[in-house]
Amino acid sequence: MLKIVVCVKAVPDPKEADKIKIDPVTKTLPRHDIPLVINPLDRHALEAALQLKERFGANITVLSMGPPAAGNVVKESLALGAEHGILLSDPAFAGADAFATAYTLAKAVEKVGPVDVVFCGMASSDGSTEWVGPEIAAILKLPVVTMVKELVGCEGDTWQVKSKIEDGYRLVQVKLPAVFTVTRELNIPKTLSFSGIIKARSKEITQWGLEDLNLQEDAVGLKGSPTIISNLTSIEIKREVKIIEGTTEEKAERLIQKLSETGVI
Amino acid sequence: MGSVWVIVEQIDSKVIPVSLQLIGHATKLAAELETPIEAVLLGNQIEDQVQVLFAAGADRVYIGDAPKLAYYQPELYSEIIHKLARERLPEIILVGSTYMGRELAPLIAAKLETGLTAHCIDLKVDENKNLEQIIPAYGGVISILCPEKRPQMATIAKGVFPDPPLDGTRTGDVVHLDVLEDLPLRVQTLEIVREEPKGVTFESALIVVAGGAGAGNLDGWNEIADLADLFNAALGSTRPAVDEGWADLETMIGQSGKMVSPDLYIGIGLSGELQHMVGIVGAKVMVAVNIDPKSPVFEQVDYGIVEDCREFIPILIEKLKFTWKRG
Amino acid sequence: MIDFTFTEEQELFRKAAREFAETKIAPKVPEMEETNRGWDDVVSAMAEAEMFAITIPEENGGLGLGYVARLIALEEIGRVSVATAMMLQVFGLGIEPFIKFGTEEQKKKYLPALAKGERLATAAVTEPTGGSDPKGGRTTYKKDGDFYILNGRKCFITNSHIADTLVVLAKDEENPEAFSTFIVEKGMKGFKPTHEEHKVGMRGCNTGELEFKDCKVPAENLIGEKEKGLRVAMSAIGDVGRGGMVGCALGVHTACLEASVKFANERILYGKPISRLQAIQFKLAEMKIDLEAGRLLGYRAAAMQDQGLRSGNEFAVAKYFTTEAAQKAAKMAVDIHGGYGCMEEFPVTRYLRDSFVLGPSAGTSDIMKVIIARWVLS
Repeated sequence: MLKIVVCVKAVPDPKEADKIKIDPVTKTLPRHDIPLVINPLDRHALEAALQLKERFGANITVLSMGPPAAGNVVKESLALGAEHGILLSDPAFAGADAFATAYTLAKAVEKVGPVDVVFCGMASSDGSTEWVGPEIAAILKLPVVTMVKELVGCEGDTWQVKSKIEDGYRLVQVKLPAVFTVTRELNIPKTLSFSGIIKARSKEITQWGLEDLNLQEDAVGLKGSPTIISNLTSIEIKREVKIIEGTTEEKAERLIQKLSETGVI
Repeated sequence: MGSVWVIVEQIDSKVIPVSLQLIGHATKLAAELETPIEAVLLGNQIEDQVQVLFAAGADRVYIGDAPKLAYYQPELYSEIIHKLARERLPEIILVGSTYMGRELAPLIAAKLETGLTAHCIDLKVDENKNLEQIIPAYGGVISILCPEKRPQMATIAKGVFPDPPLDGTRTGDVVHLDVLEDLPLRVQTLEIVREEPKGVTFESALIVVAGGAGAGNLDGWNEIADLADLFNAALGSTRPAVDEGWADLETMIGQSGKMVSPDLYIGIGLSGELQHMVGIVGAKVMVAVNIDPKSPVFEQVDYGIVEDCREFIPILIEKLKFTWKRG
Repeated sequence: MIDFTFTEEQELFRKAAREFAETKIAPKVPEMEETNRGWDDVVSAMAEAEMFAITIPEENGGLGLGYVARLIALEEIGRVSVATAMMLQVFGLGIEPFIKFGTEEQKKKYLPALAKGERLATAAVTEPTGGSDPKGGRTTYKKDGDFYILNGRKCFITNSHIADTLVVLAKDEENPEAFSTFIVEKGMKGFKPTHEEHKVGMRGCNTGELEFKDCKVPAENLIGEKEKGLRVAMSAIGDVGRGGMVGCALGVHTACLEASVKFANERILYGKPISRLQAIQFKLAEMKIDLEAGRLLGYRAAAMQDQGLRSGNEFAVAKYFTTEAAQKAAKMAVDIHGGYGCMEEFPVTRYLRDSFVLGPSAGTSDIMKVIIARWVLS
């Protein structure tokens, strides 16, 4: 029976996220009430765990670091089929960069106990660094394979997987326990089911804070982040635009003419 | 002060362009910091590549040359570099934002317990001699610093910095690395399989046509693809088009995708989001087609067409076919 | 007082229903519109997604989630396809008599397969001579040994040709005041669906006529007390029928509002999106006001139903309000779209046609007013 941990992140709904823009006057990010959803790539990570559970049997723990509102993302993961959910929530964890995030998550994985597999989505839709998965592996001193697009052989404790590279893939052999970050191509996530939601009633969500993880304040959150944001500016990539006028047909003709004149076509 | 490092990537024992571009830019950073540039090169039968690294601007090359390093091996590569960094204490480490780089850089950063910035579109030295790492976000740019921990690390995509001039007379010193024969490996790259890229590649394309959410649906997307075909252009996309499933992630142009430098760029049904626009570097002529006259894209291009692309593109295609048949 | 928020679990149900409707039902809609067919796929999709199990008690193989959950599911499905929501809503009519009046044997025999979606249900009450006036119906029954013989016709029955189990209202041949309800099964001798309707809206939703010609129904298929059939029929058409129409109406109303907002933000006139024009904004505001009001009315009635309280009157108000509002919203949506509102590629034309069918289903608006007046004057 595999022991699997899936790291999920609660992110602003990507469909609405481009409303968040730097205010050019105040140079800050105005708050928006955009609902939090499961980071789309983490759905694929969870699905990978669920498919392994179907094949071989597994106990799946979902782990998420975020504000209390992120609890609904953990709940949803339980409804999708994970057994147990852990929310890492503490004011001290706020403002974490990728390293501090990976550090906190790694310590939580340690506290969960011996695991066989850690799945993460390869990147989050908001931060999008791709660092958290491999950094968790490095901190836990576990092997990692990123950008997994196919599990070729996953029986026993030595797996073979395909990891995306430019124009192709690396065939990688890895001994468990290991960390994997997954791509969209790996699977098609199942949708939420009503009976899954009912089953989640009896599943537990545990909340862990700084003390539960036995960590110092300066190792996590903003204080534990090696990087900081020093400046926020709106940008100018400006060109002098000439709007081409006329009827639709005329615009097409004039555009072709302009492009011929400049020699690009 | 420690030196500026570039982790060099090789494919089939040849150094790839982004590594040279990073060395080129590192020259500017190193000059301001008054510190040397050092390249770290791992691979198999790559001695002859040392010369090109010097030519691009490196003062020293650390080289690990062994058959088992032919392919990227995460544990070997990261541990060799980690050990070296602990010994030599570099000030800065730059890594190309390739698939390898995006796995290797965080492994090294985490082992060194230091900061790492992704998707940089520029790197500068600030007044405190810190590396200012500039990335696009939230419709603007953000400067990131790693003020205390060293080394300061960043990944940069190909095309952000130009190819450096190569000075064949330059030379420097070479240090051969211990390739950690006895390191037990739990993860191994067994083989690398590459397929022929489909369609016109971004490298070779003189014209890039990019589509976004304004395509509306797959039919609209296909019309944009037809236009790209007609121009023999590379077809690029923005994140919304990838999310809708009309285009592959591989075709996404921008901060977390590809950088392109065409003669002509045509952006269709996209809003000119910074995350995408930073992917277009040094285009001679830029054109946008968008239904909204207030769209931010119109401030970033040379020619603007305010039209619904579903109406305009078919007409443009017709007119082009007509013009070219005549000419 | 009352908490007007949904629980975390209800929000998850809504999310699941929405994801289901968008991924499994939406792709089928064009075919259903074109061919007035294609219901097999959406019905099996609903079965797989456990939609048929929502109100069936757990001990009979269902999910036992109640009527608020049912309304959430119908609303989300209706937002994507009113035709599909209608078939699910009418299924609810077909199973309610079992839940409220079925004997243990009848529940055991029929409910588990219905919950799984292996068999479909419907209720057959309406006739050419009796819809708003159910007692006007002329379908009769007479006892004959261990059987009842049914004769007559039913019309405007949704799921007519695809239902496996139908609860049929008929009156005693000898006593026109005595009504009883019977479980008729597909394939029973003397029963057959006949004419299929081509409705102006809700296309792809199976609606048609039924014919009973000396249809022999086993005596144990009498459901509910003999001669108390109207009560059984009302349990179906009443709360459940009205509640189901509320779901369909709220769904299409939401779709109208969303389509209008999208169009208004994209359509540029006088150099700016028409969403900046007050005339358009006022229409959107009206649609929103009606939607907010309709949701409150619907969920209030469903919550009462879940608590076991009598909710027929509250549902009458909700049914009247939401179905009328949906028709208004659809017309406003078409107006906002201007010329495009008449073009079939834009979904608002479908919403308009679908909204027409909401009115007379499960009791016309006028009948709702009759019920509400009775409530007020009682």
